[in-house]
Amino acid sequence: MTTPNKQQAELPYGTLDLLILKSLDTMGPLHGYAIARRIERVAGGPLRLSQGAVYPALIRLEQEGWIATEWGISETNRRVKFYSLTKPGRKQLAVKVAEWEKSTALVGRFLEATS
Amino acid sequence: MSIRRVLERALAPVRKRRLDRELESEIAAHLELAERDARDRGLSAAEARREARLGFGGIEAVKEEHRDRRSFRWMETLARDFRFGFSSLLRAPGFAVVAVGVLALGIGASTAMFSVVDAVLLKPLPYPQPERLMAVVEADGAQRWAVSAGNFVDWKRLNTVFESLTALAQTAAPVMMDGNPERWEGYRVSADHFKVYGVKALLGRTFLPGEDQPGAEPVLVISHALWQTRFGGEASVINRRLLVGGVPHRIVGVLPPGSFDRERGDYWKPLIFTPAELTRESMWLIAVGRLRAGVSLNQARDEMTELSAGLEGANPFWKKGWRAVVYPADKDLTGDRLRLMIWVTAGVVAMVLLIACSNIGNLLLARGAARRKEMAVRAALGAGRGRLIGQLVGESLALCTLGGATGIALAYALVWAARPLLATTLPPTAEVAMDPRVLSFAVAVILGVSVLVGFLPALQTSSGALNTWLNSASRGSSGSRALLRRAIVAGEVAVSLVLVCCAVLMFRSLLNLRSVNIGVRVENVIATSVNLPPEAHPKAESVIQFARAVVERLQAVPGVERAAVSTGVSLEGWGEGGVVVAPGVARGGSVNVRIKHVDQNYFAALNIPVISGRGFDERDRRGAPRVVVVNQELTAQLQSAGGTESPVGKVIGLSLSPYGTTLAELAQVEVVGVIHTERIGDLQSPAEPAAYVPFAQEPVLSMNLTLRTRREPTSVMPGVRQAIRELDRSLPLGPVSTLREIKERSFSDTTQSTWMTGVFAAMAALLAACGLYGVLAQTVTQQRREIGIRIALGAAPRTILLGVVRNAMGLVALGLAAGLAGAVALTGVMRSLLFQVPPLDPVALGTACASMTLVGLVAVLVPASRAARVDPVASLRAEG
Repeated sequence: MTTPNKQQAELPYGTLDLLILKSLDTMGPLHGYAIARRIERVAGGPLRLSQGAVYPALIRLEQEGWIATEWGISETNRRVKFYSLTKPGRKQLAVKVAEWEKSTALVGRFLEATS
Repeated sequence: MSIRRVLERALAPVRKRRLDRELESEIAAHLELAERDARDRGLSAAEARREARLGFGGIEAVKEEHRDRRSFRWMETLARDFRFGFSSLLRAPGFAVVAVGVLALGIGASTAMFSVVDAVLLKPLPYPQPERLMAVVEADGAQRWAVSAGNFVDWKRLNTVFESLTALAQTAAPVMMDGNPERWEGYRVSADHFKVYGVKALLGRTFLPGEDQPGAEPVLVISHALWQTRFGGEASVINRRLLVGGVPHRIVGVLPPGSFDRERGDYWKPLIFTPAELTRESMWLIAVGRLRAGVSLNQARDEMTELSAGLEGANPFWKKGWRAVVYPADKDLTGDRLRLMIWVTAGVVAMVLLIACSNIGNLLLARGAARRKEMAVRAALGAGRGRLIGQLVGESLALCTLGGATGIALAYALVWAARPLLATTLPPTAEVAMDPRVLSFAVAVILGVSVLVGFLPALQTSSGALNTWLNSASRGSSGSRALLRRAIVAGEVAVSLVLVCCAVLMFRSLLNLRSVNIGVRVENVIATSVNLPPEAHPKAESVIQFARAVVERLQAVPGVERAAVSTGVSLEGWGEGGVVVAPGVARGGSVNVRIKHVDQNYFAALNIPVISGRGFDERDRRGAPRVVVVNQELTAQLQSAGGTESPVGKVIGLSLSPYGTTLAELAQVEVVGVIHTERIGDLQSPAEPAAYVPFAQEPVLSMNLTLRTRREPTSVMPGVRQAIRELDRSLPLGPVSTLREIKERSFSDTTQSTWMTGVFAAMAALLAACGLYGVLAQTVTQQRREIGIRIALGAAPRTILLGVVRNAMGLVALGLAAGLAGAVALTGVMRSLLFQVPPLDPVALGTACASMTLVGLVAVLVPASRAARVDPVASLRAEG
């Protein structure tokens, strides 16, 4: 079995935060499993994410105040945390998206220029 | 990282348990959901379970990362080390109790001492903008005097540098409380006195402008302490009328608690100068001003010098060249000697703390040596060096926290116990208390101590080839550690030597001070006073009459052998200052003297011997030729003018103010006797020239009563009170003290600092002995095998014993040499504290060396005898 760290490294640094925020933005409040599933589904085949990796990312986003948590009941009738985007979180998402677009554009231009 | 996140992370360790539980349940729910989805896709239960786990990844790794992300790793580690430290302390309770006790002693004593240093020397005066408060005095060159009313009024009127200027004079008056006379001590002050200090009334108001002008309504402001004790703290005290000195006064305000309470004044009343007081001859006021904003001390000095020069013509001839001198008001509050005494005591306490720390450090070093195997195992199991150090620092932090907490509790107790004792020694503005400043100092000391105590042994323990320690055969000490421990102990001996030396010097100085011939009888003498209201005695004759009646009545009280009336309490104060003018004495033909008014019983009651001529007797009445008795110092002054013959029979000029005035006139008086000098005030300064005038010729209203008794002096007081009451029902008695108490009080500051130094020096010596013992005992333990071999080869136990003793004495000798060097270096500091003892006193140095050698011998006794009793067979077998 490959280590989760190695799998996580396949995701560009800082991207997981962006994916989580974006998922919450489009889907509304979700629990941890749903977030992980959603990222897997949208990303499709190439991404191999170990689902557990979302939890350390979630606690960090929560501490920053970008997402809020609420206790709810899962489909299997268990108490779980539901995560939702806060106002600062929404702002942060916009910032991250802009940053991402800027950097991909830059990298794209760079790749074109050298090819 | 945002502040919010830093905070959240910092708090996370506190919520660790809850956060862990929440994560567990989230992971469980996650796996359940994943399993369900997998089953929905048609997998078997077992396969679905496997699939869910696989998809999740490493559960423990996620938990670990979660913990990392949500908190600061080092904080959790530190907390763990700290807890670990506590539990490892609990495993060695004996060590823990000793170490915590020693640290608590050191930290407690230094915290308590700091509260004194802070209150007296560091904190600014407890008034708003204290740097603008200035004292103003009249000065004859370097000699500073109080201020005359005439000059004060002119200074106040003419100066432009002070926002306000106040004068203060002590007073006391009988007050009728519920029909009984009481004596209250108080102050007469200018109307803007409280404006100068920036103090507002707690209740009511302070004085209004103009209330210190003639004709103003008599008003009073009372102290918070008096309000609490005599008026039950009731607000109805405002506007209450009181008979003070026979005159009705209205209470207009109550002061806030604090420095004004510690001044031991009961009340303040406006200082309204009587015409007789408005002279420039008599200096009796304490003047304090608040500088205008933006005015510098130098500007104020320049203006006041110029101003007083301009007033020189209005002043008496003998004040030629006198000027007004301005200096910061806090200079007056703490004398240089007190300042130095506090610093020296604080230094001594700091040294004790240092020795305590090095002892604990040494103990930890020894423990570190014993625990090398444990460390080596930890290292072998993968603990990094940083982790090992962290663990040891955690341990010392735990030790210091316990020691520090106990120390702070001890400091509270010390401050609480010392406050009443210090009240007489320290200035009233010093509020000695365990305030936040002192507490933060304590915390800083605790942190400093834990670094000092923990870091060095930690570095030592975890350095070097850890794995060699696993080899149980490797023993003996690593050279550097042994050297370090020995150096620390030698240092302790050195510091203790310095402290013991200081203590011996101060005790010798105190003994010298106590053996100064104070010239009066102290046994079975008690003193009190009465202040006659001027309204009741407009004429001198009635005061003389009263004094005579008092003496008669008091001598009739059972137990009283002799009663005398005088100005100024014996040993403590004079009546007034003045000048003697005689041909040829000093410069300008005049010499400053102290003047005391005494009746004919005074010299006899206090056993003051008349050296030549006579004392006072019935002849010296009002109207008879005016006479004076001089002390030995004044005799010396008079003789320096005219040879060696006795001054008896000479006529000299003496400044005396006629009854009811403060305007001194030069009276021609004949010297009829010379008495042995009566010491008054500071015994460390030389005695002053003094002139004694007969009370029956020069009566005054404030009378000090001195009683020589046949039995225990306080036992006559009920009779004395009764006698005074029979004479005048409205006359309260002043404070009562035996002469023994007054004598003790006169050097209470020296006594206190000497005893403190003595106690701390003894403590230091004891700690040094413990340190020495620790090192020697460990050396002997380590050398058991070697000693065993030597004994097996035929060495006599005596040789072994001497070897250990020689080893110890080498350490002590090193310490003594270093300590002597330290003592020599400190002579400059000690010199001004000592009275008739040279700072390099051979007795002190010898005593210190001898006592530290003794300490060394005591410390070596047990280890040496243990070494001599080593059983070669047992020691070789045990470690072979």
